[in-house]
Amino acid sequence: MRLRPFIFSLFTALILIAAAQTISAQALDISSGGQATITGVVNGSVTGSASVLNDLIVTVNFGEVSPLNTNSIVKVVVPIALRSNQPYQVSVSVSGLNNGNAQALQALDIGFGLQNIRKLGGAGQDCTQSTHIIRSPFDNDPALNATVGSNGRVSYTSALVNISGSTIILSGPVLSKNNSTKRQLSDGFVFDAIFALTPQFFAAGVSSATLIFTISPGPNVPC
Amino acid sequence: MPRLSQVITKSSLLTALLVVSAFSCLGQSTTGTVTMSATVSKFVEINSGGAVTLSGNSGGGVTTDGVTNSPLAVSINLGELGPSNTNNFVSAQVPLKLRSNAAYVLSMTATVTSSGSTASRIGAADVGFGLGTISRTGLGVNAGADTNATSGDPTLAANGSVNGTTGRYEFTAVRSNLNAFSSATTALSGPIIMNAVPRSNTNGLTVPAFFAVKPQFFENGTTTISVTFTVTAP
Repeated sequence: MRLRPFIFSLFTALILIAAAQTISAQALDISSGGQATITGVVNGSVTGSASVLNDLIVTVNFGEVSPLNTNSIVKVVVPIALRSNQPYQVSVSVSGLNNGNAQALQALDIGFGLQNIRKLGGAGQDCTQSTHIIRSPFDNDPALNATVGSNGRVSYTSALVNISGSTIILSGPVLSKNNSTKRQLSDGFVFDAIFALTPQFFAAGVSSATLIFTISPGPNVPC
Repeated sequence: MPRLSQVITKSSLLTALLVVSAFSCLGQSTTGTVTMSATVSKFVEINSGGAVTLSGNSGGGVTTDGVTNSPLAVSINLGELGPSNTNNFVSAQVPLKLRSNAAYVLSMTATVTSSGSTASRIGAADVGFGLGTISRTGLGVNAGADTNATSGDPTLAANGSVNGTTGRYEFTAVRSNLNAFSSATTALSGPIIMNAVPRSNTNGLTVPAFFAVKPQFFENGTTTISVTFTVTAP
């Protein structure tokens, strides 16, 4: 009889442990992919953890983007790490940038593209039957694809305006070799999310936007 | 024994909590956030709109000419302004180019100094001034109505005449001579000039600034006229 409380507690502990393992053994993970960088900036910055073990929480301040910034373009590169033990897809949604003045900064003025998919820490699952696919039109470096449109405004091959709701931007086969229950320094993939903003005669003001990247089970492609 | 059982029970629960906490710390995430912001400050600029046109001069010339889209820093020698110059006016036309992403005000300050010592020396009122036709053309230039606070070309008949009492020629229209600009005074104002286009777009608002002097029996000597244009976004 005196052992009953002990046994009850032991079972409780085991159940909690099992639950914890179930929670932590997520098959899909997104995190920082390294140090984000910014160039061509005046009075701006980018902050976020350089550790691939930390969550993806990046704050980009493009700084001054009127003609007071005489650089040709402000470019931000945000490495994003992915881990999965199953086929995956990455989607992104954007909120903010609701400027009523058409001459103010709009979603079409911030170029957005993906480049440089590579193994995380040099290790990741090698798949021969499927590839990682950057969805159209995001497979480009917007800083290298900025052109002046017929109205004189700079446009990009892809920009935040191409994000509608939750938009899939990347998908592919399993990313990780090991079915690890925690983040590791390697064993996954990294891609660069690239943002570009050309200083222009925008109407004066301060603008902001928030992007949420989400990894979820993707099309069932073989590895 | 009951006490031992309680200890074991509490230890087990504590272990369970620690395990859960540990796994939570190692927790993975399926979402990440990138927050971004940008600032657009008010921007205005004035540059040369092109080469200076000097006419009616006797001697003199353009010492430092205007170069389109370069900082405005022209220097003009109006030449002879006495009766030996038989032209109606010595006139200089200086093209200006303005650009802004906000409503703007162009003001001007002028000083005129002469070596003479009598009332017949050249003074600020003897130098006619006005802004000509305002042009908002080209890709990326915003359409808008500007307000010219001057009376235009000072050589127009409507803008000046011989004073019936003194016989001296006077620029009489509103803000038609430099006496009206002894301190910073608005010459032109208007709404935003440029749409959202990059600085490499060289279009803008252009307007000629006219300066004119009627050759007369001024006291002999030399005169220096200095004009400073300033554009602001109030």
